[in-house]
Amino acid sequence: MSNSHKAKIAKTIISTILITLLALLFLFPLVWMIASSMKSESAIYHDLSSYRAFLPAFDINQWGKAYSSLLARFNVFIYILNSLFYGLSVTAGSVIVNSLAGYGFSKFRFKGRRFLFGLLLAMLVIPGETIIIQKFQIARGLGMLNTPFAVIVPALAGPFNIYMFKNFFDAISNDIIESAQLEGAGMFRIYWQIMLPMAKPAVATVGTLSFIGSWNDYIWPLMVLTDSSKFPLQVAITNINNSQPVYMNQVMAILTISTIPLILVYIFFQKYLVQGMGASGTGEK
Amino acid sequence: MKHWKLSLLAVTVLSIMGLSACTAKSDSGASGDKNIEMWVQYSKEDPEGKAMKTNIAEFNKTNKQGYKATVQYIPRSGSGGGYEDKINAALNSNSLPDVLTLDGPNTAAYADSKIIQPIDKYIANKDDVLPSIINQGTYKGKLYAIGYSESGVGIYYNKQMFKEAGITDQELPSLTKKWTWDEFMDISKRLKNKFNGPAIDMQLSDHSEMSLYSLAPFIWSADGSITNKAGTKSVGYFDSAKTASAFQLIQNLVKDGYTTISPKEKGFQTGKYAMLMSGSWTIQELDSQYKDIDYGILPYPVSPKTKKLVSPTGSWQYAMSASTTKTKAAGALIKFLSAKNQMYRTSMKMTVLPARKSVSKMMMSKVTPNMQFLIKQNQVSGHARPVLIKYPQVSRTFAETVTKATYYKENPDVAALLKKQATDMQQYLK
Amino acid sequence: MHRNSLTRSSQAWLYIFPALLILTLFLFIPALMSIYYSFTNFNMLSPQTRVFNGLTNYITLLKDPIFGRSLRNIGQFVIFIMPLQVGTALGLALIVNKKRAGNTFFKISFFAPVVVSLAVTSVLWLYILNPEQGLLNGVLSHFGISAQPFLTSPKQAMFAIIGISTWQGAGYQMLIFLAGLQNIPTDVYEAAELDGANAWERFIHITLPMLKPTSVMILTTTFIDAFKLIIQPMVMTQGGPMNSTITPVYYIYRTGFTDRQLGYASAMSVIYGAAIIIFTIVQRRITGDDNNVK
Repeated sequence: MSNSHKAKIAKTIISTILITLLALLFLFPLVWMIASSMKSESAIYHDLSSYRAFLPAFDINQWGKAYSSLLARFNVFIYILNSLFYGLSVTAGSVIVNSLAGYGFSKFRFKGRRFLFGLLLAMLVIPGETIIIQKFQIARGLGMLNTPFAVIVPALAGPFNIYMFKNFFDAISNDIIESAQLEGAGMFRIYWQIMLPMAKPAVATVGTLSFIGSWNDYIWPLMVLTDSSKFPLQVAITNINNSQPVYMNQVMAILTISTIPLILVYIFFQKYLVQGMGASGTGEK
Repeated sequence: MKHWKLSLLAVTVLSIMGLSACTAKSDSGASGDKNIEMWVQYSKEDPEGKAMKTNIAEFNKTNKQGYKATVQYIPRSGSGGGYEDKINAALNSNSLPDVLTLDGPNTAAYADSKIIQPIDKYIANKDDVLPSIINQGTYKGKLYAIGYSESGVGIYYNKQMFKEAGITDQELPSLTKKWTWDEFMDISKRLKNKFNGPAIDMQLSDHSEMSLYSLAPFIWSADGSITNKAGTKSVGYFDSAKTASAFQLIQNLVKDGYTTISPKEKGFQTGKYAMLMSGSWTIQELDSQYKDIDYGILPYPVSPKTKKLVSPTGSWQYAMSASTTKTKAAGALIKFLSAKNQMYRTSMKMTVLPARKSVSKMMMSKVTPNMQFLIKQNQVSGHARPVLIKYPQVSRTFAETVTKATYYKENPDVAALLKKQATDMQQYLK
Repeated sequence: MHRNSLTRSSQAWLYIFPALLILTLFLFIPALMSIYYSFTNFNMLSPQTRVFNGLTNYITLLKDPIFGRSLRNIGQFVIFIMPLQVGTALGLALIVNKKRAGNTFFKISFFAPVVVSLAVTSVLWLYILNPEQGLLNGVLSHFGISAQPFLTSPKQAMFAIIGISTWQGAGYQMLIFLAGLQNIPTDVYEAAELDGANAWERFIHITLPMLKPTSVMILTTTFIDAFKLIIQPMVMTQGGPMNSTITPVYYIYRTGFTDRQLGYASAMSVIYGAAIIIFTIVQRRITGDDNNVK
């Protein structure tokens, strides 16, 4: 084995160790959450000052206890189904609505375009927390209350997501559009068959972020829905986290349940992103 | 290459189908003078929610007028968020239910804004209701809301650690043998020396409502006050020498290291602190999750000048919206829910303190000695929080004052601090 | 005739319309309503008695010491968070953009703080930062540094919040950087490698320039998001101690919802919103993106 080859291996090992340490710095709450959901309430706090904070209970019988008392307390299954329904609808809808708008801003020239885009950026500034009452009045005026529309529709368009798509479409050369047009493709077909697949990184990002946003929303669904069978999972989480006495292991159990879909969606989009890049010939070796 | 777009499309189509299916189902019923709606701040699945379900079923079955009540369960977050946001939204769209729940400190603001109406005439056997409950729900001489349970705070202590520090049972206070602030300080000192750390977790890191709720009794014990009786003046009251003595106590506790502004989470439950100032909910927690801690509950320490025992109270309440047109039915429901048997059911299911004397009697034999203690302390010394329109602001100024007092290096002069804080508070009173 | 797609206008509206409609209804009109409310004495509990009160709210605002304090706090936050968070995010993105063993694991790790609830992370951070027996002070004492008060100190609390926010938020920008990095064609790198450019040169001459649109977008949105800080102080310090971590949006939220003074809160929103827009325009000039909309 040559020296330079050895050096290369050593370098890889060292950098991998360093990156792993860095990764642990970001990962520790996740591990703690999962470990804490698999032990008794008192063990969580007894273990807090040692490495055992990151390990589940030694007794395997303890592992499912928080989960079973949680399931006895709430019909978690229904809440998850509701959240999935809202989350997936928002994700799909948001990718379509925002990419359409991004496409419009990127590949068309029309009067008021600059002004509209400036206005869009200005809307980034509005903190959602402070306009919730006004939003409610609009939703009520539209007769949306207590329908899933009220939860889903307002989340479909976001200035940031439009900005993101516009940036990606900007990077795609106009020559591609023109040659497609020469072959007789309409603008919508160009969007659907060429532009959207080429903006896969943006699709993946907007998709991930939209799902997370919808999944974590609590106050808005609670405000617009009256029928508790339509509540999302966050309502159950907030409830468990706030009704005294708060049992930390149950809190951790429901948070674990609620975090898993987020990580799955993230992995799904990340995987799909890498595959997509490979397929279109611009991915990594 | 293509399937991802197909799945995207499929999800969208499915969503839209789901949506239209859901909207096709329209609201049913809700007509007629006999159907009333009620909103509550907890979930259907909570013990409280289950008790409510039973109570409502009973009401619908037994009332002779044919009233039918439906309940909407709106679980709140932290300090009422979520539920209160929903109430606020309903106010703006004039769609409040006939009966609603509200937290004690909201009474004045809701009554003053004419959101709720007096319910004096619907409450049966008023003398049986604890005075703290009546005070909490009364605004300008009229009862606007009725608390359906009570809460209280005591000093939890670890028997084992007390023994190790050489504190004998004879030295321990009780409801009849009160302990003064000096005696409390003395015991704290011995615990601190023995265990080389803070003796008590007074939840000073909680800068929310807990601050006024659990610490104001020290002021009241010293005959001090936050505002005058009418709730119009804090200058001359919040900065009085009597009020200052209570803040001095809090400052000294921190300064001498008997308590801490940054307690470890669950320090008492895990045997790190010998004492904890906390509410009745901690009994449930200790009994179910921390069985190895042998504990008891001590009363609030009293001012050495007055020797007056005062403990905190406060609860969520039932009220009738001012906008309801079905006052008879709504009144009947409130009367039913605030009656002895229904309150008993709620208090027992939730393991909380009762709001009626008769309910206390029913509960006494069925609860643990520690719970019995809190029930008794509540009856002899419960004090309601002030009924003020701008309560959130006053409560926040109070919490801020506590924080400032505990930063003893920055604010060594408690009297001067209170003078400034009283002026700050004054702007919220009218 | 040469058909140039970029000159046709009428069709554009079809594409923009759905987003425009939703944004108008649920963002723009509510914001306009805020402007209207800012000239009234709107109290949340008595919407019917709302009356026009001119500039009263704005005059109160000028004399409000807490609002002033919150502006100072957020200024401090933005100045520190921008380089920290954007730098961290770019570093993380570069790490996971390279093919290596365990890449998925690293990707999940760096993103974890974004998806893990603040209920989890705040318990842990409060524990780590506990002045008396906390983990961090334990570590510091090994290096001979005396115990620090962290979140309980008016001087240090904001820095603690800055650190936690960076840690928590970097994964979010990492995701966006990653999308930008993935969009850079690999053949450009291959050509540079053939020309003998080393890793650093490739980063400076290819990655950075090609990442510019993404970077500008991230700088803009991070900048704006930083001004909207609310959750961390709300959960970790409730704005204290002594208002040292209160932020404008937190103060607006508290005034509007806890204190129910929606009129006054709206006036603060309007002034603050206008200020951020102006700052953002300046920031975009500095980062050289004032002509993004070509």
